[in-house]
Amino acid sequence: MSEEKQTVLECRDVGVRYGDVVALSGVSISFARGRIHAVVGQNGAGKTTFARAISGLVSPDTGEIRIDGRILPTGNVNQARQAGVELVHQSFALPPSFTVAEAMQFGAADGRIYSRRGLESRWQTYLDNLNVNVKAGQRIRDLPVETLQSVEIARALVSDARLLILDEPTAVLSPEGAQKLFERIRHLKDVGVTVIVILHKIREVLAIADTVAVLRGGMLVEGPVECSGINAEKLAELIIGPAARPLEDDQKAALTGSLDTAHAHLAQSVDQAAVEPVLKLTAVSTRPDSDGPPLEDIDLVIRPGEILGLAGVEGNGQRTLVRAISALAETSEGKITIEGLDVTRASLQTRRAAGLRVIPFERNVEGLSLTSALWENWSARELLQRPLLSMVRPTELRQRCGTALDAWEVHYSNVTQHAGSLSGGNAQKVILSREMDEQARLIIAAQPTRGLDIGATAFVWDSLNRARARGCAILLISSDLDEIMDICDRVVVMLSGRVVGTFTPPYDLADIGAAMTGVSK
Amino acid sequence: MTESIVSVFRALIFIVIALALCGLIFSVAGYSAPDMFRAIIDGAFLRTGALQQALRWGLPLFITAAGVVISFRAGYFNIGAQGQFYIGAICAAFAADWLNGLPAFIVIPACFLAGMTGGALWAMWPGILRLRSGADEVITTLMGNFLAVIVLIYVTSGPLKDPTGSGQQASSRPLDAAYRISTSYGVSPTIIAIAVLVGIFMWLLVNRTAFGVLSGLAGRNATMVTWQGARLWNIGLASFIISGALAGLAGTVELMGPNGRLASGFLPAHGFTAILIALVANLSIVGTAIVALFFGGLASAALYLPVIAGLPSSAIDIINAAIALFITAKSNIVDRFLRNWRKRGWTT
Repeated sequence: MSEEKQTVLECRDVGVRYGDVVALSGVSISFARGRIHAVVGQNGAGKTTFARAISGLVSPDTGEIRIDGRILPTGNVNQARQAGVELVHQSFALPPSFTVAEAMQFGAADGRIYSRRGLESRWQTYLDNLNVNVKAGQRIRDLPVETLQSVEIARALVSDARLLILDEPTAVLSPEGAQKLFERIRHLKDVGVTVIVILHKIREVLAIADTVAVLRGGMLVEGPVECSGINAEKLAELIIGPAARPLEDDQKAALTGSLDTAHAHLAQSVDQAAVEPVLKLTAVSTRPDSDGPPLEDIDLVIRPGEILGLAGVEGNGQRTLVRAISALAETSEGKITIEGLDVTRASLQTRRAAGLRVIPFERNVEGLSLTSALWENWSARELLQRPLLSMVRPTELRQRCGTALDAWEVHYSNVTQHAGSLSGGNAQKVILSREMDEQARLIIAAQPTRGLDIGATAFVWDSLNRARARGCAILLISSDLDEIMDICDRVVVMLSGRVVGTFTPPYDLADIGAAMTGVSK
Repeated sequence: MTESIVSVFRALIFIVIALALCGLIFSVAGYSAPDMFRAIIDGAFLRTGALQQALRWGLPLFITAAGVVISFRAGYFNIGAQGQFYIGAICAAFAADWLNGLPAFIVIPACFLAGMTGGALWAMWPGILRLRSGADEVITTLMGNFLAVIVLIYVTSGPLKDPTGSGQQASSRPLDAAYRISTSYGVSPTIIAIAVLVGIFMWLLVNRTAFGVLSGLAGRNATMVTWQGARLWNIGLASFIISGALAGLAGTVELMGPNGRLASGFLPAHGFTAILIALVANLSIVGTAIVALFFGGLASAALYLPVIAGLPSSAIDIINAAIALFITAKSNIVDRFLRNWRKRGWTT
């Protein structure tokens, strides 16, 4: 970029390695002052590492970083902060027990002593000036995510930040919340702050950013280019790269965010009422527990070769339903059958033997043991189908794990590396490779694309479609209505532990939305 | 592979630092540090008979430590090895007492069975409490230790009291020589064979069975294995039982081997040293064997400290404690040092 705009940040040949994994290599890029820059890329492309390198959280192995033309000592958060660089993390970092005022003061730390009231009034004015609608006396843990994020941003601005980096700020936000965030970002631009925002939804990039830079496999493939000179399709191609399998049209449409996606495959869905269902829930109820509302009288049928979408505002019993199907919540009334087999009282082990597979909600807690080796994570399902004292041959398991991970296009360096060293998309692929084997008959996919970039999302959809073509029955739980309407053959909506609506294509967004919030009928 | 090499190096660095620190402290206190080191190295391995002494202390420690490895790997902090060790010894002593007079080939296996069962049961109740109701096993197994000490005092001064005892320390009647598996000197082929068998079986259990892989996963993330269909009840209780049974086995070995009788408050640090060994060895069975012999060597060296360096033999406790402190205090500095080392391609 040879424009005569002042450069605020300049990276030259920046490279970062984590052990054997190259996270970033040879990135040379410069950002102009006072604009909004987007950095996009798939999971594992190095976006977060890039943000961390600039803000001093990780020390690059090669290259240099200049702020306003001066070399920034790398790997030092305080130095970066003094130079005016602030990072707002993907997962929030404020202490939950602090009040808002305390958290703000924690960032400022001017060494003076305040009374509680003095502290609160001091920061209240500050927050009001930034249009953050929050009481300075509230506890961090009581704040909704949108407000929490605003507070995070406000805290980052305390120390006169001139370069603000936001790491995937929209991942936790509702569409409305994202709109508000974008207004806030534009406001920051107006007051002269340069913003680098890391995103993975193309729609959002085009909505907010002035320029966009694309990372792929730790390298800069494009940019920064003006957003006015690029369209969604071109950007999607840049992000995914030429090697990936071509996206189907409806996938591309859903990824780029056009709502009127065609339901091409739905027209051909045959009348399946006669086929024996893979999963059948008859009047299933559960007892209340800490995990959301109990199920009340759920009837649900999924037939082979069908993807049933489960929509609903989060916390309306979706989790309990998945746990009930997985024998992790006790069914107090009703009957559950898998492939005609009554499993109401059967253990998860038995249900898995009958063909049940689960892609759980929490990838990093329920899906993988992050501090265990990949092969251990991968072989857990299979080992649990054997007697505990049966002999295993680790070398053989490692080999088969390697073959499976290769087949699922997981990027890893060694099957003995910890699962925690993989990026979100790769970690999800490990789970897919375990849960979507040939013997799978019923796949419960709970939020399988949450937090994934478009490449990985398309991969997951593709896998679900392939499993469906093989004759698997699939239950897809998602809070992303675009996703549900795009790939599901049928949609049910849950509200307060009940099924309140069943929809078939063509879907009407307004109808489903109404059912979700309970305004219909 | 590199992972385990690094962790062994890490442990070695800590031990060297700990020894250096002890040397410094003792020399400030007016003792000779070089003499201390000489006493340790001589007493542990070089003197005639030193290696035998190292084995005498190291083998029972290894047996208990292998059990600790099993429960720690599964994520249960059974710190009750000491109590399980005592109860095992007590049960074996009772068995020997009741069966007194029968031929050795009946009595000895019966004692081992009783000792292992006793240790297993003493680990089982904290296990059940933990798995049923979530009672913290650290608390319950620790309580179990105190209870076991009291039971030992009661047994040695009550049911099994030796009426001819000196009165200084309550103890049971000495075992009939026919039932002993070693002399008082401490090592015998039987004990070595037992330790080797324990080593082989535990290595297989950890590295070559579904239980080993799954308990390792459960120890790091119990939620994940639950979602895979595991019953923590099975894995968890088995881990408690195995670890208790091994501590009980070690108790039986000490009773029927070197000690020959049950003495009130004997080997009060055995279980805790075993925990230390398991942690230093990073919960690997092979590592545990090596580290147990090292600590056996230190225990043997305790006898030489007064002779060579003029230090009290309890100085070895200071050295043990220093090592424990350094190992457990996960030093960031050393870890970062090792990581950088690796990053530069020092190992491949």
